[in-house]
Amino acid sequence: MSAQTSPALYPTTGEPVAVNARRNRLGLWLCIISDATGVVALLIAYMYLWSLNVNNAWAPKGKNHWALDWPFWAIVAGTVLGTICMWWGVKGIAKGHTGRLMAGALLSSLIILVAFVGQIIQLSTFPFGPGDGAYASATFWLAIGTAIHLSLLTFLTTAIVGRTRAGRITQENHSHARLVAMWMTYVCVAALLGAIFTTVMKESPNSNAPTFGTFQN
Amino acid sequence: MSQTAVIHEQMAVPQPKQHGKPGGFLAHTNIFTGLIGGVVAAGVTYFIGDKLVPWGTQNADFSQVGLNALVFCTFVAWVIGFMAGIGAFAGPIRWALGHDLTHDDAEYMAGKGQGRMKYWKYTTDHKVVGIQYLVMALVLFGFGGFFAMLIRTELGATWREVFDPNFYNSLIGTHGIVMIIAMIIVVAGPLGNFIMPLMIGARDMAFPRLNALSFWLLFAAVPPLVLNLVMGGIRDGWTVYQPLGTQAPIGMIGYQVCIITFAFSTGIAGVNLITTIVTMRARGMTWARTPIFIIGTLAAAIMGLVWFPMFQYAQLLAASDKVIGTSFYIPQSGGSVWLYENLFWLLGHPEVYVIVVPATAGILELMVVFLRKPLFSYKMAVAGFAGVVGISAVVWVHHMYMTGFAPQAGYPFMLSTELISIPFGFLVLVMLGTLWRGKAWNRLPMMAVYAVIFDKIIGGITGVYLSDVPVDQYMHGSMFVVAHFHYMLMGAGLFAAMGVIVYWFPKMTGRMFDERIGKIGFWTAFLAFQVTFLSMFVAGLQGMPRRVLQFDNAFDISNWISTIGAYCIGIGMLIFLYAVITSWRNGKVAPSNPWGAKTLEWQTETPVPLENFPVLPVVTSDPYGYGIPDPYLKVEEELDQDDNETVGAR
Repeated sequence: MSAQTSPALYPTTGEPVAVNARRNRLGLWLCIISDATGVVALLIAYMYLWSLNVNNAWAPKGKNHWALDWPFWAIVAGTVLGTICMWWGVKGIAKGHTGRLMAGALLSSLIILVAFVGQIIQLSTFPFGPGDGAYASATFWLAIGTAIHLSLLTFLTTAIVGRTRAGRITQENHSHARLVAMWMTYVCVAALLGAIFTTVMKESPNSNAPTFGTFQN
Repeated sequence: MSQTAVIHEQMAVPQPKQHGKPGGFLAHTNIFTGLIGGVVAAGVTYFIGDKLVPWGTQNADFSQVGLNALVFCTFVAWVIGFMAGIGAFAGPIRWALGHDLTHDDAEYMAGKGQGRMKYWKYTTDHKVVGIQYLVMALVLFGFGGFFAMLIRTELGATWREVFDPNFYNSLIGTHGIVMIIAMIIVVAGPLGNFIMPLMIGARDMAFPRLNALSFWLLFAAVPPLVLNLVMGGIRDGWTVYQPLGTQAPIGMIGYQVCIITFAFSTGIAGVNLITTIVTMRARGMTWARTPIFIIGTLAAAIMGLVWFPMFQYAQLLAASDKVIGTSFYIPQSGGSVWLYENLFWLLGHPEVYVIVVPATAGILELMVVFLRKPLFSYKMAVAGFAGVVGISAVVWVHHMYMTGFAPQAGYPFMLSTELISIPFGFLVLVMLGTLWRGKAWNRLPMMAVYAVIFDKIIGGITGVYLSDVPVDQYMHGSMFVVAHFHYMLMGAGLFAAMGVIVYWFPKMTGRMFDERIGKIGFWTAFLAFQVTFLSMFVAGLQGMPRRVLQFDNAFDISNWISTIGAYCIGIGMLIFLYAVITSWRNGKVAPSNPWGAKTLEWQTETPVPLENFPVLPVVTSDPYGYGIPDPYLKVEEELDQDDNETVGAR
């Protein structure tokens, strides 16, 4: 086999990069499953407390107490847009266009950074504090979860820019960029679910709220 | 690509640019830099935090948000500082900068040429990580066992109170969670890391750096847990039901940070184990030729990966209630304690199987070797593991029958809990079937088989009682429950772990285990275990509640017996530990395959070289091809022969 037709090899193990990429892909799927269980735990918490309305204390007291819907959807839109940019770059590098990956990753990184900043602004401008009832608690944590996801994405997309600049991502070996794009797609789904929950489930359907003791923190 | 390296004596591989000396930043880090990093980060965080939110700060409900937030941030800073100090962040930063590892870097990180220092560093070699896990498990058992002795001292001294009640409750909680962590890691940690890659014919785990990360996260998780004892303790049992957890002193935050960190460690380990098993088995090792220990490890890793985040988030939200004043579990503000119990037990019950399944798989593995016959129905064993994984997801509510949560859910969950005894019964049947007509080579590992079968039957059957709603109405919260789960976790889990560790001890340490002393310790502990916990069943049946230090005189005798038994378990375990240490230091040098076993880990030399195998093995037959090809066929042949003889005689 000539040097030109030899598969690219992974430097530390000597395996073809395709073998390594398959392994990494399975690892990523497992990470997604594990992380998704955590997201499901937050969604269960939201839905469970919403449906119970314990002590009639689901909703925060006062007027205009619900969080605005549009910031959730704006952050989801930003995340989706960033993900589309990354996939555009990944499709480009698969055809050998390094510049397209560079542009896609850079754009993605900037958009995700904006979404992250937007998420922080949303967290700091909710019309309630985290201790203002169950709705406030659950909503805060869905937003915190998205913020953590977005901070990780900011690092990952920036890293793809750095690695592309350093020549580590090539047409033959671009699996890391693809993995980041896959992870971003998952984050979009997680953020979308959070937005759906906070938009659709506001007033508790339980008008006959159970009353429990008067324990205070 | 500036250079090439020859890997495994097979081919020249282009290498990325070498930045500095091999290992880079990691060449300068070890556990001591980690400790310095952790202590400095915690100290600085505490100092700055105390300036911003002083200790005495209270919210409108008069809870000490300042103190809780300060302690939480300090513990988190310890974990991050420790991980930074030991070099855990070097990999992601290098990756982001495009400074990929060279082969020399990878070899350095795997511990090449570092002697014993590699055990104190962020070493990626699976064998080093396996030994680190083993030592960590032994240390945790030491802690947990010591607490158990203190608990039994209090319960045995029926005429007086030995400890302050709050301290006693903290002992109970700390003993519980320390032992749970130790049991989760004792098989899947040392053997899942050291033995599993060898057994499937791989050179290392799929993600070596994640392997080191998972161990050192575990290491970082322990100090916050232990420190709880001087910070008011965990007074609410290892389950830390709400709202007790929210009302608890600041020691509870140590528990919460420990669990949150440990769950990361477990998740990462799960990803690594599953990926390694699925993608790195040797050529020719089809699923049907995969050793049963690997299948059991895979099953445990799947359960841990999927369910541990539930436990993690249960604690995360509990910490949030304490630290930033949310109200997930505070009914006054719309929270629900049942939410906690659901999230907790969604992991809490599968976690029992995360402990017992790899231990059982290890026992099946060594039965084959010491009986020199194939596993009785490999497929039934695999079905058993698959059934346990599947059904374990739908049994958690049996821990909540008496909490008032959804009483109508009791009967469906009673049914599902009883159903899980079927796949578990498969595993016991496979054990008994493999024993049937076998001529046992009665070495110490084989003795663990007898012990485990005995304990598992008692633990399993009492578990079926407890899964029944009517029985549970009487038994829940009693010493009967305590005895039951000790039979499963310690009787079936720990004694199995002792057997499999002795079995693989020669491969892991290069020394033969001193079975003479080991047997004395093992049987002392086993017999004392029966004395302790059979007596505890009696106390439970008489109505003695758990987690109390004052009780009626009617329970005195069973408690005296249990305490004497517990001390004897302690003596047995110390003897066993003595055998472990002396064998490791001065034991007879082990040959490569002292048991004449057929699985791949025994086919490489001892001590195992850095890259495990000079050439990757190819599997051409099943791992259990000892003597009789199939016990069914043998029996049928014998029956046919008997029939023929009978006919001939007529």
